[in-house]
Amino acid sequence: MSVCATTIALPLAAGVVPPLVVLVLCALAGIGTALWLPGPRERSLRRIGGVIVCVALLILAALVVRQAGVATAGDAYFWVFSAIAVFAALRVITHDRPVYSALYFVLTVVASAGLFVLMWAEFMAAALILIYAGAILVTYVFVIMLAQQAGSTGQTTDAIQSVARASCPCPDGITGQTTDAIQPDYDRNSRSPATACAVGFGLMAILLFVIFDRMGPLLSAKGGKTGATVSELATYLFSEQTVTFELAGVVLTLAVVGSIVIARRRLPPAAVLPERASAGTTPQGPDDNPHSIPVYGTENPTAKAYPER
Amino acid sequence: MTEMVLQRFLAVGSIIFAIGLLGFLTRRNLIVLFLCTELMFQGAAINFIAFGRFHENLHGQAFVIFLLVIAAAEASLALGLVVLLFRRRNTLDADAWKELKG
Repeated sequence: MSVCATTIALPLAAGVVPPLVVLVLCALAGIGTALWLPGPRERSLRRIGGVIVCVALLILAALVVRQAGVATAGDAYFWVFSAIAVFAALRVITHDRPVYSALYFVLTVVASAGLFVLMWAEFMAAALILIYAGAILVTYVFVIMLAQQAGSTGQTTDAIQSVARASCPCPDGITGQTTDAIQPDYDRNSRSPATACAVGFGLMAILLFVIFDRMGPLLSAKGGKTGATVSELATYLFSEQTVTFELAGVVLTLAVVGSIVIARRRLPPAAVLPERASAGTTPQGPDDNPHSIPVYGTENPTAKAYPER
Repeated sequence: MTEMVLQRFLAVGSIIFAIGLLGFLTRRNLIVLFLCTELMFQGAAINFIAFGRFHENLHGQAFVIFLLVIAAAEASLALGLVVLLFRRRNTLDADAWKELKG
Protein backbone atom coordinates (compact mmCIF):
# COMPACT_ATOMS: atom_id res chain seq x y z
CA MET A 1 0.00 0.00 0.00
CA SER A 2 1.55 3.22 -1.02
CA VAL A 3 0.36 6.41 0.48
CA CYS A 4 1.36 9.45 -1.47
CA ALA A 5 3.19 12.26 0.22
CA THR A 6 0.71 14.34 2.13
CA THR A 7 1.52 17.75 3.36
CA ILE A 8 -1.41 19.59 4.73
CA ALA A 9 -1.10 23.15 3.56
CA LEU A 10 -2.40 25.34 6.32
CA PRO A 11 -2.31 29.09 6.14
CA LEU A 12 1.01 30.17 7.53
CA ALA A 13 -0.40 33.23 9.18
CA ALA A 14 -2.23 31.37 11.89
CA GLY A 15 0.22 28.58 12.51
CA VAL A 16 -1.02 25.44 14.11
CA VAL A 17 -1.30 26.90 17.58
CA PRO A 18 -1.04 30.65 17.99
CA PRO A 19 2.03 31.70 19.97
CA LEU A 20 0.05 33.65 22.52
CA VAL A 21 -1.99 30.58 23.33
CA VAL A 22 1.22 28.56 23.69
CA LEU A 23 2.59 31.10 26.13
CA VAL A 24 -0.62 31.25 28.14
CA LEU A 25 -0.86 27.46 28.32
CA CYS A 26 2.75 27.14 29.39
CA ALA A 27 2.29 29.81 32.04
CA LEU A 28 -0.81 28.02 33.30
CA ALA A 29 0.97 24.67 33.36
CA GLY A 30 3.93 26.30 35.09
CA ILE A 31 1.74 27.62 37.88
CA GLY A 32 0.07 24.26 38.20
CA THR A 33 3.38 22.39 38.39
CA ALA A 34 4.78 24.85 40.91
CA LEU A 35 1.80 24.01 43.10
CA TRP A 36 2.16 20.30 42.43
CA LEU A 37 5.83 19.94 43.37
CA PRO A 38 6.65 18.64 46.84
CA GLY A 39 6.40 21.41 49.35
CA PRO A 40 4.85 22.60 52.56
CA ARG A 41 1.42 22.84 51.04
CA GLU A 42 -1.71 20.94 51.78
CA ARG A 43 -2.58 17.93 49.68
CA SER A 44 -5.68 19.59 48.26
CA LEU A 45 -3.67 22.53 46.98
CA ARG A 46 -1.20 20.19 45.35
CA ARG A 47 -4.03 18.27 43.71
CA ILE A 48 -5.44 21.53 42.38
CA GLY A 49 -2.05 22.17 40.83
CA GLY A 50 -2.18 18.79 39.16
CA VAL A 51 -5.65 19.49 37.82
CA ILE A 52 -4.49 22.82 36.39
CA VAL A 53 -1.64 21.12 34.55
CA CYS A 54 -3.95 18.45 33.12
CA VAL A 55 -6.39 21.12 31.94
CA ALA A 56 -3.59 23.00 30.17
CA LEU A 57 -2.44 19.82 28.44
CA LEU A 58 -5.99 19.01 27.36
CA ILE A 59 -6.45 22.46 25.87
CA LEU A 60 -3.22 22.10 23.92
CA ALA A 61 -4.26 18.68 22.66
CA ALA A 62 -7.67 19.97 21.63
CA LEU A 63 -6.10 22.84 19.67
CA VAL A 64 -3.76 20.52 17.82
CA VAL A 65 -6.54 18.09 17.01
CA ARG A 66 -8.76 20.86 15.76
CA GLN A 67 -6.12 22.06 13.33
CA ALA A 68 -5.45 18.62 11.94
CA GLY A 69 -8.92 17.99 10.64
CA VAL A 70 -10.30 14.50 10.58
CA ALA A 71 -8.48 12.23 12.92
CA THR A 72 -7.65 8.82 11.58
CA ALA A 73 -7.85 5.64 13.56
CA GLY A 74 -4.16 5.46 14.26
CA ASP A 75 -4.15 8.83 15.91
CA ALA A 76 -5.87 7.50 18.99
CA TYR A 77 -2.78 5.48 19.85
CA PHE A 78 -0.64 8.57 19.61
CA TRP A 79 -2.86 10.54 21.97
CA VAL A 80 -3.12 7.71 24.46
CA PHE A 81 0.61 7.03 24.52
CA SER A 82 1.63 10.67 24.69
CA ALA A 83 -0.92 11.43 27.41
CA ILE A 84 0.40 8.53 29.49
CA ALA A 85 4.00 9.58 28.85
CA VAL A 86 3.50 13.23 29.78
CA PHE A 87 1.40 12.45 32.84
CA ALA A 88 3.90 9.88 34.07
CA ALA A 89 6.77 12.32 33.50
CA LEU A 90 4.93 14.91 35.58
CA ARG A 91 4.41 12.36 38.34
CA VAL A 92 8.11 11.50 38.27
CA ILE A 93 9.04 14.99 39.28
CA THR A 94 6.15 15.74 41.58
CA HIS A 95 5.86 12.59 43.62
CA ASP A 96 7.18 12.60 47.16
CA ARG A 97 8.82 9.22 47.27
CA PRO A 98 11.72 8.22 45.02
CA VAL A 99 10.45 4.65 44.54
CA TYR A 100 7.26 5.95 42.99
CA SER A 101 9.27 8.33 40.84
CA ALA A 102 11.23 5.38 39.49
CA LEU A 103 8.06 3.40 38.84
CA TYR A 104 6.40 6.31 37.08
CA PHE A 105 9.53 6.59 34.99
CA VAL A 106 9.09 2.97 33.97
CA LEU A 107 5.61 3.98 32.82
CA THR A 108 7.08 6.87 30.84
CA VAL A 109 9.54 4.54 29.15
CA VAL A 110 6.84 2.05 28.23
CA ALA A 111 4.62 4.81 26.82
CA SER A 112 7.44 6.23 24.74
CA ALA A 113 8.20 2.72 23.52
CA GLY A 114 4.63 2.73 22.25
CA LEU A 115 5.37 6.03 20.49
CA PHE A 116 8.43 4.42 18.93
CA VAL A 117 6.28 1.61 17.55
CA LEU A 118 4.03 4.24 15.97
CA MET A 119 7.10 5.70 14.31
CA TRP A 120 8.06 2.33 12.84
CA ALA A 121 10.99 1.77 15.17
CA GLU A 122 9.95 -1.54 16.67
CA PHE A 123 13.45 -2.71 17.45
CA MET A 124 14.13 0.51 19.33
CA ALA A 125 10.91 0.08 21.25
CA ALA A 126 11.91 -3.40 22.34
CA ALA A 127 15.45 -2.28 23.11
CA LEU A 128 14.10 0.61 25.15
CA ILE A 129 11.93 -1.65 27.27
CA LEU A 130 14.65 -4.24 27.71
CA ILE A 131 17.52 -1.91 28.46
CA TYR A 132 15.91 1.12 30.00
CA ALA A 133 12.95 -0.26 31.88
CA GLY A 134 14.41 -3.68 32.39
CA ALA A 135 17.96 -2.95 33.42
CA ILE A 136 18.59 0.70 34.19
CA LEU A 137 15.45 1.41 36.15
CA VAL A 138 15.68 -1.86 38.05
CA THR A 139 19.15 -0.74 39.07
CA TYR A 140 17.69 2.55 40.19
CA VAL A 141 15.11 0.77 42.33
CA PHE A 142 17.87 -1.40 43.81
CA VAL A 143 19.89 1.66 44.76
CA ILE A 144 16.85 3.34 46.25
CA MET A 145 16.32 0.29 48.40
CA LEU A 146 19.98 0.24 49.37
CA ALA A 147 20.12 3.89 50.27
CA GLN A 148 17.11 4.04 52.50
CA GLN A 149 17.02 6.32 55.44
CA ALA A 150 16.95 4.97 58.94
CA GLY A 151 13.87 5.54 61.07
CA SER A 152 14.95 8.39 63.31
CA THR A 153 16.54 11.07 61.25
CA GLY A 154 17.03 13.67 63.91
CA GLN A 155 15.48 15.82 66.54
CA THR A 156 13.16 17.69 64.23
CA THR A 157 9.48 17.63 64.91
CA ASP A 158 8.79 16.21 61.48
CA ALA A 159 10.84 13.13 62.24
CA ILE A 160 9.21 12.68 65.60
CA GLN A 161 5.77 13.05 64.15
CA SER A 162 6.51 10.67 61.33
CA VAL A 163 7.89 8.08 63.72
CA ALA A 164 4.81 8.46 65.90
CA ARG A 165 2.59 8.16 62.89
CA ALA A 166 4.37 5.06 61.76
CA SER A 167 4.06 3.38 65.12
CA CYS A 168 0.34 3.88 65.60
CA PRO A 169 -2.10 1.73 63.63
CA CYS A 170 -3.09 4.00 60.77
CA PRO A 171 -5.94 3.16 58.44
CA ASP A 172 -4.25 4.28 55.25
CA GLY A 173 -1.59 1.67 55.42
CA ILE A 174 1.49 3.57 56.44
CA THR A 175 2.47 0.81 58.80
CA GLY A 176 3.52 -2.37 57.14
CA GLN A 177 5.76 -0.60 54.68
CA THR A 178 9.49 -0.38 54.84
CA THR A 179 11.46 2.52 56.21
CA ASP A 180 10.84 4.31 52.96
CA ALA A 181 7.50 5.31 54.43
CA ILE A 182 9.21 7.85 56.62
CA GLN A 183 10.11 10.48 54.12
CA PRO A 184 13.36 12.29 54.84
CA ASP A 185 12.73 15.91 55.62
CA TYR A 186 15.22 17.31 53.14
CA ASP A 187 13.13 16.28 50.15
CA ARG A 188 9.86 17.57 51.55
CA ASN A 189 10.33 20.95 49.95
CA SER A 190 11.50 21.35 46.41
CA ARG A 191 14.15 23.92 45.68
CA SER A 192 12.69 27.21 44.48
CA PRO A 193 9.78 25.70 42.55
CA ALA A 194 8.64 29.01 41.10
CA THR A 195 11.97 29.83 39.47
CA ALA A 196 12.48 26.29 38.24
CA CYS A 197 8.97 26.15 36.78
CA ALA A 198 9.52 29.50 35.11
CA VAL A 199 12.75 28.29 33.54
CA GLY A 200 11.43 24.87 32.55
CA PHE A 201 8.15 26.07 31.14
CA GLY A 202 9.83 29.04 29.49
CA LEU A 203 12.01 26.57 27.61
CA MET A 204 8.96 24.48 26.81
CA ALA A 205 7.10 27.54 25.55
CA ILE A 206 9.98 28.45 23.25
CA LEU A 207 10.27 24.91 21.92
CA LEU A 208 6.53 24.57 21.34
CA PHE A 209 6.41 27.98 19.73
CA VAL A 210 9.14 26.98 17.29
CA ILE A 211 7.48 23.66 16.59
CA PHE A 212 3.95 24.88 16.11
CA ASP A 213 4.40 28.34 14.79
CA ARG A 214 7.65 28.47 12.92
CA MET A 215 7.81 25.07 11.34
CA GLY A 216 5.23 25.87 8.75
CA PRO A 217 2.36 23.60 7.94
CA LEU A 218 1.93 20.20 9.54
CA LEU A 219 4.53 17.89 8.10
CA SER A 220 3.80 14.30 7.42
CA ALA A 221 6.22 11.62 6.39
CA LYS A 222 5.84 9.84 3.10
CA GLY A 223 4.45 6.41 3.71
CA GLY A 224 5.90 4.64 0.68
CA LYS A 225 8.20 2.09 2.25
CA THR A 226 6.98 -0.50 4.64
CA GLY A 227 9.53 0.54 7.18
CA ALA A 228 13.03 -0.53 8.01
CA THR A 229 13.59 -3.95 9.47
CA VAL A 230 16.07 -5.02 12.06
CA SER A 231 18.42 -6.37 9.40
CA GLU A 232 18.53 -3.00 7.69
CA LEU A 233 19.28 -1.33 10.99
CA ALA A 234 22.04 -3.83 11.70
CA THR A 235 23.50 -3.37 8.22
CA TYR A 236 23.46 0.39 8.65
CA LEU A 237 24.99 0.17 12.10
CA PHE A 238 27.84 -2.09 11.11
CA SER A 239 28.61 -0.57 7.74
CA GLU A 240 28.22 3.16 8.22
CA GLN A 241 28.54 3.61 11.94
CA THR A 242 31.37 1.19 12.60
CA VAL A 243 33.62 3.59 14.47
CA THR A 244 30.76 4.85 16.61
CA PHE A 245 29.80 1.30 17.40
CA GLU A 246 33.30 0.46 18.54
CA LEU A 247 33.43 3.63 20.60
CA ALA A 248 30.17 2.64 22.25
CA GLY A 249 31.77 -0.63 23.27
CA VAL A 250 34.72 1.25 24.69
CA VAL A 251 32.38 3.49 26.66
CA LEU A 252 30.61 0.48 28.12
CA THR A 253 33.93 -1.07 29.13
CA LEU A 254 34.92 2.17 30.78
CA ALA A 255 31.64 2.24 32.67
CA VAL A 256 32.11 -1.32 33.89
CA VAL A 257 35.65 -0.67 35.10
CA GLY A 258 34.65 2.61 36.65
CA SER A 259 31.73 1.26 38.59
CA ILE A 260 33.80 -1.61 39.96
CA VAL A 261 36.40 0.84 41.21
CA ILE A 262 33.81 3.19 42.61
CA ALA A 263 31.82 0.57 44.45
CA ARG A 264 34.60 -1.01 46.47
CA ARG A 265 33.59 -2.00 49.94
CA ARG A 266 36.61 -1.68 52.16
CA LEU A 267 37.96 1.57 53.43
CA PRO A 268 41.70 2.16 53.45
CA PRO A 269 43.57 -0.06 55.92
CA ALA A 270 44.19 0.95 59.53
CA ALA A 271 47.66 2.22 58.79
CA VAL A 272 46.21 5.12 56.85
CA LEU A 273 43.68 6.22 59.43
CA PRO A 274 45.53 7.13 62.62
CA GLU A 275 42.51 7.12 64.90
CA ARG A 276 41.62 3.61 63.99
CA ALA A 277 45.16 2.43 64.69
CA SER A 278 45.20 4.15 68.06
CA ALA A 279 41.85 2.69 69.00
CA GLY A 280 43.52 -0.65 69.24
CA THR A 281 41.62 -2.43 66.53
CA THR A 282 43.47 -5.22 64.86
CA PRO A 283 44.48 -4.31 61.35
CA GLN A 284 42.72 -6.31 58.74
CA GLY A 285 44.98 -8.57 56.82
CA PRO A 286 44.85 -9.07 53.11
CA ASP A 287 41.85 -11.08 52.07
CA ASP A 288 40.74 -12.64 48.87
CA ASN A 289 37.85 -10.27 48.50
CA PRO A 290 38.27 -8.51 45.16
CA HIS A 291 36.35 -5.57 46.53
CA SER A 292 39.03 -4.75 49.07
CA ILE A 293 41.32 -3.13 46.59
CA PRO A 294 43.39 -0.54 48.42
CA VAL A 295 43.29 2.81 46.74
CA TYR A 296 46.17 5.04 47.59
CA GLY A 297 45.93 8.71 48.14
CA THR A 298 42.48 8.65 49.67
CA GLU A 299 43.23 9.81 53.15
CA ASN A 300 39.95 10.89 54.53
CA PRO A 301 40.22 11.52 58.25
CA THR A 302 36.51 12.04 58.65
CA ALA A 303 35.55 8.70 57.15
CA LYS A 304 33.82 6.52 59.67
CA ALA A 305 34.01 2.78 59.77
CA TYR A 306 30.60 1.42 58.98
CA PRO A 307 29.70 -2.06 60.05
CA GLU A 308 29.22 -4.91 57.68
CA ARG A 309 25.59 -4.99 56.69
CA MET B 1 -1.08 3.78 7.52
CA THR B 2 -1.77 6.54 9.87
CA GLU B 3 -0.78 10.05 9.18
CA MET B 4 2.40 10.64 11.06
CA VAL B 5 2.60 14.24 11.97
CA LEU B 6 6.06 15.39 12.82
CA GLN B 7 5.19 18.31 15.01
CA ARG B 8 3.14 16.28 17.43
CA PHE B 9 5.97 13.89 18.16
CA LEU B 10 8.43 16.74 18.50
CA ALA B 11 6.05 18.46 20.89
CA VAL B 12 5.79 15.36 23.07
CA GLY B 13 9.56 14.97 23.11
CA SER B 14 10.08 18.63 23.97
CA ILE B 15 7.50 18.50 26.74
CA ILE B 16 9.14 15.48 28.32
CA PHE B 17 12.56 17.11 28.01
CA ALA B 18 11.39 20.31 29.66
CA ILE B 19 9.69 18.35 32.44
CA GLY B 20 12.93 16.48 33.06
CA LEU B 21 14.87 19.74 33.18
CA LEU B 22 12.36 21.16 35.61
CA GLY B 23 12.66 18.17 37.90
CA PHE B 24 16.43 18.30 37.75
CA LEU B 25 16.44 21.89 38.96
CA THR B 26 13.89 21.28 41.66
CA ARG B 27 14.38 18.04 43.49
CA ARG B 28 16.97 17.48 46.17
CA ASN B 29 17.11 13.72 46.30
CA LEU B 30 20.20 12.52 44.44
CA ILE B 31 18.47 9.57 42.84
CA VAL B 32 15.52 11.61 41.62
CA LEU B 33 18.04 14.05 40.13
CA PHE B 34 19.46 11.28 37.98
CA LEU B 35 15.99 10.04 37.13
CA CYS B 36 15.23 13.49 35.72
CA THR B 37 18.43 13.28 33.69
CA GLU B 38 17.12 10.06 32.23
CA LEU B 39 13.83 11.84 31.47
CA MET B 40 15.77 14.36 29.41
CA PHE B 41 17.40 11.49 27.56
CA GLN B 42 13.95 10.10 26.88
CA GLY B 43 12.64 13.34 25.38
CA ALA B 44 15.66 13.62 23.13
CA ALA B 45 15.25 9.99 22.03
CA ILE B 46 11.66 10.62 20.96
CA ASN B 47 12.81 13.59 18.89
CA PHE B 48 15.58 11.56 17.28
CA ILE B 49 13.24 8.77 16.24
CA ALA B 50 10.68 11.28 14.96
CA PHE B 51 13.20 12.98 12.72
CA GLY B 52 14.57 9.66 11.57
CA ARG B 53 11.11 8.57 10.58
CA PHE B 54 10.48 11.85 8.84
CA HIS B 55 13.62 11.73 6.75
CA GLU B 56 13.12 8.00 6.17
CA ASN B 57 16.58 6.91 7.14
CA LEU B 58 18.01 5.05 10.07
CA HIS B 59 20.18 7.77 11.51
CA GLY B 60 17.76 8.53 14.28
CA GLN B 61 17.44 4.93 15.39
CA ALA B 62 21.19 4.36 15.35
CA PHE B 63 21.74 7.43 17.44
CA VAL B 64 19.15 6.28 19.93
CA ILE B 65 21.09 3.03 20.28
CA PHE B 66 24.13 5.06 21.23
CA LEU B 67 22.01 7.21 23.48
CA LEU B 68 20.95 4.07 25.34
CA VAL B 69 24.61 3.10 25.67
CA ILE B 70 25.50 6.46 27.14
CA ALA B 71 22.48 6.40 29.43
CA ALA B 72 23.40 2.97 30.73
CA ALA B 73 27.01 3.97 31.33
CA GLU B 74 25.97 7.16 33.06
CA ALA B 75 23.40 5.38 35.19
CA SER B 76 25.88 2.78 36.42
CA LEU B 77 28.57 5.31 37.28
CA ALA B 78 26.14 7.79 38.78
CA LEU B 79 24.48 5.18 40.97
CA GLY B 80 27.86 3.93 42.14
CA LEU B 81 28.74 7.46 43.13
CA VAL B 82 25.40 7.94 44.84
CA VAL B 83 25.91 4.81 46.92
CA LEU B 84 29.40 5.95 47.84
CA LEU B 85 28.21 9.41 48.79
CA PHE B 86 25.41 7.93 50.82
CA ARG B 87 27.89 5.86 52.78
CA ARG B 88 29.92 8.93 53.64
CA ARG B 89 27.19 11.17 54.93
CA ASN B 90 24.30 8.76 55.38
CA THR B 91 21.97 11.03 53.48
CA LEU B 92 20.75 11.35 49.93
CA ASP B 93 20.48 15.10 50.15
CA ALA B 94 22.19 16.93 47.33
CA ASP B 95 22.77 19.87 49.64
CA ALA B 96 24.94 17.76 51.94
CA TRP B 97 27.78 18.32 49.50
CA LYS B 98 27.31 22.04 49.36
CA GLU B 99 30.89 22.80 50.28
CA LEU B 100 31.89 21.58 46.86
CA LYS B 101 30.31 24.72 45.47
CA GLY B 102 32.82 27.13 44.11
